[in-house]
This record gives sequence, C-alpha cells and structure tokens, in this order.
Amino acid sequence: MLAYDFMQRALLAALLIGLAAPAVGTFIVQRRLALLGDGIGHIALTGVALGLVTSTSPLLGAIVVSVLGAICIELLRTRGRTGGDVALALLFYGGLAGGVLVTNFAPGGSTSSLLSYLFGSISSVSEQDLLVIALLVAAVLGVLVLLRRELFVLCQDEEVARAAGLRTGLLSMMLAVIAALTIVVAMRVVGLLLVSALMVVPVAAAQQLTRGFRATALLAMLFGMLAAVGGLAGSYQFSVGEVNISPGPAIVMVALAIFVLSAAGGFLVRRRHAPSLAGPVMSGGGPVSEETS
Amino acid sequence: METMMDAVFELQDGHVRLDGREILHGIDLRICPGEVVALMGPNGSGKSTLVRALLGLVPLASGRRSVFGSARFRDWARIGYVPQRLSVGGGVPATVREIVSSGRIARQSRLRPASRADRAAVGRAMAALGVDHLAGQSVSRLSGGQQQRVLIARALAGEPDVLVMDEPLAGVDAENQRALADTLSLLVGQGHTIVLVLHELGPLEPLITHSVVLEHGRIVHRGAPPEPSGECALPGHDHVHPHAEPEPVSLWRALVGKTGRH
Repeated sequence: MLAYDFMQRALLAALLIGLAAPAVGTFIVQRRLALLGDGIGHIALTGVALGLVTSTSPLLGAIVVSVLGAICIELLRTRGRTGGDVALALLFYGGLAGGVLVTNFAPGGSTSSLLSYLFGSISSVSEQDLLVIALLVAAVLGVLVLLRRELFVLCQDEEVARAAGLRTGLLSMMLAVIAALTIVVAMRVVGLLLVSALMVVPVAAAQQLTRGFRATALLAMLFGMLAAVGGLAGSYQFSVGEVNISPGPAIVMVALAIFVLSAAGGFLVRRRHAPSLAGPVMSGGGPVSEETS
Repeated sequence: METMMDAVFELQDGHVRLDGREILHGIDLRICPGEVVALMGPNGSGKSTLVRALLGLVPLASGRRSVFGSARFRDWARIGYVPQRLSVGGGVPATVREIVSSGRIARQSRLRPASRADRAAVGRAMAALGVDHLAGQSVSRLSGGQQQRVLIARALAGEPDVLVMDEPLAGVDAENQRALADTLSLLVGQGHTIVLVLHELGPLEPLITHSVVLEHGRIVHRGAPPEPSGECALPGHDHVHPHAEPEPVSLWRALVGKTGRH
C-alpha cells in the first residue's frame, strides 16, 4: 500500500496525530476534562463551515474558531457560574448547529460538504496539508515538553499550583489552545466527531497497565500511533470492490480494541499480584503455597 | 525589605467574601517565624478560608495581607502547602515519586531537566515521611494516611521555610497520626514555621505553640491551645459536626470559656 503517494502521506499524517493526540489527552484526562476534545471538535465545525462559506480555507477557519472556542470554554469554566460539563454542553450544541446553519449559506450549500470533516478524509491529505500537520504537531509537542512540570501540577491540583506561584489561568488557557490545535489537525484523520476518541481512548488503555503519569503518557502515545497505523492499514486492506472502509472510524475501533486488550491484561496482572499485596511482604512476589511455609 | 522580625503571615482586618457571602469578618492575625499555629473551630467557622486567604488563594474583600513582610510576595518556594485531600490525583495514575517531585516546581526552571539537587531533595522528603519504599507505587492505590504523607512530602520537597497544612489528620488512623506528629516535631526542631488547620489537636498537641479558634468567621480565642474536654475528648467520638448545628458551637464556646483567654 505504500506504493501510492497518497497512502504515504496518509500514513505520515496518521502517525503524527497518533503521537500528538494522546500526549495532549493525558493532561486533559488527568484534569478530568475528557470531553473537552468533543466540545472543541463541535465548535471547530462552525469554523470549517465559515471557511467553506467565505471560500477561504476550512482549516484556517477551524483553527481560528476552535482556539476562540477553547478560550470560551476556559472562561466559562473558571469565571462563569456554569460547571465545566454544562459549559462544554453549551458549546457542543452551538458548534454543531452553527456549523450546519452556516453551511446552508454557502453557494450551493449542502451539508454533505461537511461530511468529510465530520468523519475525516485522510486519503486526500495533500503535501501542503502534511506540512501544516507536521508544524502544528511539532508546536503542540514542543509546548507540552516545555510546560510539562507546570501542567502536571496544574492538572493534579489547581489550588496547589496557585500556592506554588504558577499562573494557572494562563496555563489552563495554553492547555485548551493546544487541545484545540490538536483537534484541528486530527480533523483530517479521524474527523471532528471522533477526534476526541484519539485523545482519550489511548490514555484510558495505557492507564490500565501503568502506575505513573510519564509511563501512561508514553504508552498512550505508542498506542495512539499503533491505532492510527493499524486502522489506516486495515481500512486499506479491507476496502475491496463495493466495500469502502473509512479510515477514521477504523482507527477509533482499533484504539478501542487496544483498550479492551489492556483492560483484560491489567485485570490479569493485578489479580496475579493481589495476593502478594494483601499478605505479608515477600521477596519472591508470588503467593506462598502451604509447602514453603 | 525583609528583616528577621517580619511575620511569616500577617493579616490586618481581613474580610473575605465568597459568592456574595462574607465568610471572614475582620481577621487580625500575625504568625511569626518558628511558631506552630493551630487554626481551630467547628465546621463552617472559616478556618480553611482563613488559610487560603493567608496563601492568597482567595482574594481579600478588604484588609491587608503580607507574607514575609511583603504585600506582593512572589517567592512561593518558601511556602509548602498541603491541601486537605483524602484522595490525591486526577484521572491519570501518578507514582509517589512523580507527585513528590512536582513539589520542586517553584525551584525549577523550564528548560533544565531535574538536577541532582532536585533528586536529592525529593529523596530526603520521601525518606522523612517514610514513603521512600513506595516511590514507584501509584498514589491512588495507597491508604489515606499514606496519601497524606505523600502530600506532605511533596510540600517538603520544595524545601520550604513554612508548611501550611489543611486538616492533616483527617482520614488518618491513630498510629499514622502519631507518626505524623513525630515527623512534624522533627521539622519544628529544624526551625520550620507550621500553620495547621485542625479539627482536633490529637497527638499534635505538644507541638502547638499558639492556637487560634474561629467561630462564624471571627477569632474568638487565641493563645495556648484550649484543653480538650467533654464529649470531644472521648476516644471514639466521631467528629462529625454538621454545619449550622448549634451543639458544636456551644461546645467551642465552652472550651473557650474554660480557658478564659481572649
């Protein structure tokens, strides 16, 4: 499948997003804002529609509107009297309805032009798209590496972060903006409706097997890349004749399969270690049988 | 300029309003270096809010606050905050070492990786609290007492001069409470200033140099710690004092009246 240029580009794009989305997702999940990605994804749809209507770039529209939306969510969450979940819900509906309505105003505006953004269109990634994706992913990962300690403290306990003199408002905003950029990038690969899955599911899968934050983040990034490549390859392999498998949903299904496998694996590992944790401390680690005692 | 005589925390006529309701009504409080101060009072008396006001986590509606003699204090590495938390951690697991290491945040620069000094301080903090053997464990799987020790180790890792703890005894069993008292007495011996929000003095009593009792957002007693008496002193008394119930308030009044110092 790598004989085709479009598949090479698709594969690179998938790898980059499989790497970046779970990296941001680890901090988002730690902050218990797992649905933040969904909220921003819906808002981005309005941006795409604005790009279509004004015949400019849907990508640019999505970037501008989703970054603004992310800032709105943060302000609503911290300043307003609405809880985080309600703030997200408001933007979910506003973004989706706005996206469809704005598209109706486009010349010959049919909502079918939105479909490729809703569910992804990775096989149509151009060289220029790939460059934009690579730059945005590099920026996102760079900011995460630079701010990793501050973001860890912030996501762990916002009050402790403030007592340590961190500028929590600014940091929260940075995280939301990074999430928004990641979502716009991932829009091409899995689509806006499934974007959040790539941020959350690999993290959920990784933490079945890990004890630490760093380990979770690294394993989630590995799982993300596996899911992206596996889903893409699967959709290519199984698309024969009339059957046409969309890569986006295939990637999400592979990620979910990885989650089920790690949940089962984690359960087995914990069950094996449970007796040795409950009983007296032993050097061997395994349960002691009657004969040895 | 900071001098040796500067109070660690000073609050003059501090009023705090949260959601339109005044929680603290004109608090005057001065905490000096080397003191071990217990902020006490029934639930809803404003003791946690007072601590958060001292740290600048809630804004003052009016009044003046200074930390180490400065109204615009920035050197947060000097203060270690231990929040009231029975369960630590967010949605992602974190190891004990990761949590304790994060206490170095105010002393680290963004671009540099953790230094040898960072790792040494983290090691000392974990050893001081007896959680070094748990370094690789996930915090969420530890007991309440162990989690509390991890949170204190996190504050200590920043090598602060002052420790501020909100209810460090909550959810900690008697044996761990005594272990905690031993640790704190070591820290007091090293010259740390300690501010504690406490519901009961418990095994910390001998360490406390000053106590401040709040009731309805006002200081009603300051000086030596009040002697526990009556119902509260009985072992097995479950310290559940629902908000706005008259009984615990009168209990505190009885305590205050008994010591007779205002």
